[in-house]
Amino acid sequence: MSAGSFAFFMNVPTLLCLGLVLGYPVIYAAYLSVHRVGLGQLRSGVFAFNGWDNYGRVLEDPLFWVALKNTSIFTVVTVGSEIVLAVLIALLINQTSIWTSRVTRFLILLPYAIPPICNGLIWSFLYSFQFGFLNRILFSTGLINDPINWAGNPDTALYAVTVPYIWRTLPFAIILVHAALQGIPRDIYEQAAIDGANAWHRFRHITLPMLQQIIAIILILRTAFAFAVFEEILAITQGGPGDATWVAAWYSYKITFSPPNNFGMGSASAFILTLMVAAIALVYMRLIYRRVTL
Amino acid sequence: MFKTTPTIRILLHTANLTVIFFILLPLVAVFIGSIQSERALQADTRRVLPLEATLDNFTVILTKGQQRGRIFDQATYLPDNIKSFYTAFMNSAIVAGSVTGLTLLFGSLSAYTIARQRFRWTLFLLQANIVARFVPVIVLMIPLYVVMRSVGQLNSLSGVIIAETGFLLPYAILILAPYFDTIPTELEEAARIDGCTRLGAFFRIVVPLATPALAACGVIMFIISWHELLIPLILNARPDFMTLPVVIASLVGDVHVFFNLMMAICLLALAPTVVLVALLQKYIVEGLSAGAVKG
Repeated sequence: MSAGSFAFFMNVPTLLCLGLVLGYPVIYAAYLSVHRVGLGQLRSGVFAFNGWDNYGRVLEDPLFWVALKNTSIFTVVTVGSEIVLAVLIALLINQTSIWTSRVTRFLILLPYAIPPICNGLIWSFLYSFQFGFLNRILFSTGLINDPINWAGNPDTALYAVTVPYIWRTLPFAIILVHAALQGIPRDIYEQAAIDGANAWHRFRHITLPMLQQIIAIILILRTAFAFAVFEEILAITQGGPGDATWVAAWYSYKITFSPPNNFGMGSASAFILTLMVAAIALVYMRLIYRRVTL
Repeated sequence: MFKTTPTIRILLHTANLTVIFFILLPLVAVFIGSIQSERALQADTRRVLPLEATLDNFTVILTKGQQRGRIFDQATYLPDNIKSFYTAFMNSAIVAGSVTGLTLLFGSLSAYTIARQRFRWTLFLLQANIVARFVPVIVLMIPLYVVMRSVGQLNSLSGVIIAETGFLLPYAILILAPYFDTIPTELEEAARIDGCTRLGAFFRIVVPLATPALAACGVIMFIISWHELLIPLILNARPDFMTLPVVIASLVGDVHVFFNLMMAICLLALAPTVVLVALLQKYIVEGLSAGAVKG
């Protein structure tokens, strides 16, 4: 068998999978998004073409813009904090002479093991106004006298749901930064120390430039995924209070799978979300393209 | 990296303790919540540690509601989904196991050719996989629901397995490809000269050498699949086919389920992947960086 046909043969399962589960649904979502599709149409199997109607209705829906605004705030807050925290904590666990750093390093991956839906529920227990664990801690340490309504206050709810998300996804960022840190040759630091550079200078002029690429990669990956946050919203606030934590994926999910089940509009809104994420993905590919040549 | 004066050491220890506190806080909360009764949680809302510890929450879940124990004595209602814990656990195990197997098999076949054969289309395939990794699940689920519904594949484990395999395959390929690239070609060439077929050389020479990468990829696939909520939530509505995350999600908003029971079922659901992460940490760390950086 020639190398070419062998390569093709080896890729048949992948091509089938990608076509069936990724390619076809994305195209079909585009199809649904320009047709009138509700439960009635699903039963009869006849979808009437309605042009840009669904997109028009999504873009005219104030709730969609609220969701988009919330998603943007959520993404900026989570990704921003994650990058700062990941660099700081990666530097911290790199201090192998400190025994507590070794403990942290051992524990750092733990949140990666927690199912997102469980994470959400655990934090809804932490945040609970009446029975919550966080208020219990603050009461018993004497920091507060009245319970705080963490996730039930429209002003703080969106920020409250960022914390569990950061908690769950931070290990990924820390691990990438930590791996990059270990790739920096030690003698650069030694040379700089001989030349009289203090710790801050070494961080600013050696560490940070060497971490630039990995930070960019984390920024893009985390932005794309934070844009599609779903589980923590479902578990903690279900979009509430009011519309304070409606995010883009939640919007598409609710429009589609709760009455009146508008599959057309749901597809249109999901497709808008996809286009935004696709733009991010293209930037990512350009960035790591040099490495893609393998 | 820098001289550690006593002041700096204290600062670093404090920073570490803060991080450790943040990591452990939700885990302590889920554990304490799971060993309390509803009455104890409501009686004193300012206590961190429970007045009494009980295993009744676990008993009621693990005996499908048969043995209610003291704290559920008076309870007239238990959600049906709590009773289907074993079914859900088995469904989760079947789905996660199958998805892991399929993504490893298909993924290594593809990743190997992408790493070895430099055709224009294999490079294109790699790029397609990089982009595919970004596709939000929600945009796939609406059309998949419509299609699965029309072909009568809603409420089946195979539908969920196919959907998750397709969704995770690009990521598996991204994790595996850089590793296959580091395996020297000489061994395969020698095997080929000795009369081995290309496929034979792949399975007999390359796959055994790639065991660490397969372990890294496999454990990550298992974890993501064990955690996946949206795909089984949308495709399976009948209790017989629910996975654990779906059962847990169904408790959200059920006014009759209190935190003690929720924390207990969460603890049972997160235990398997916590054990995996504790045992296979090294592989996961390698897999995560390979999948993100080296394309």
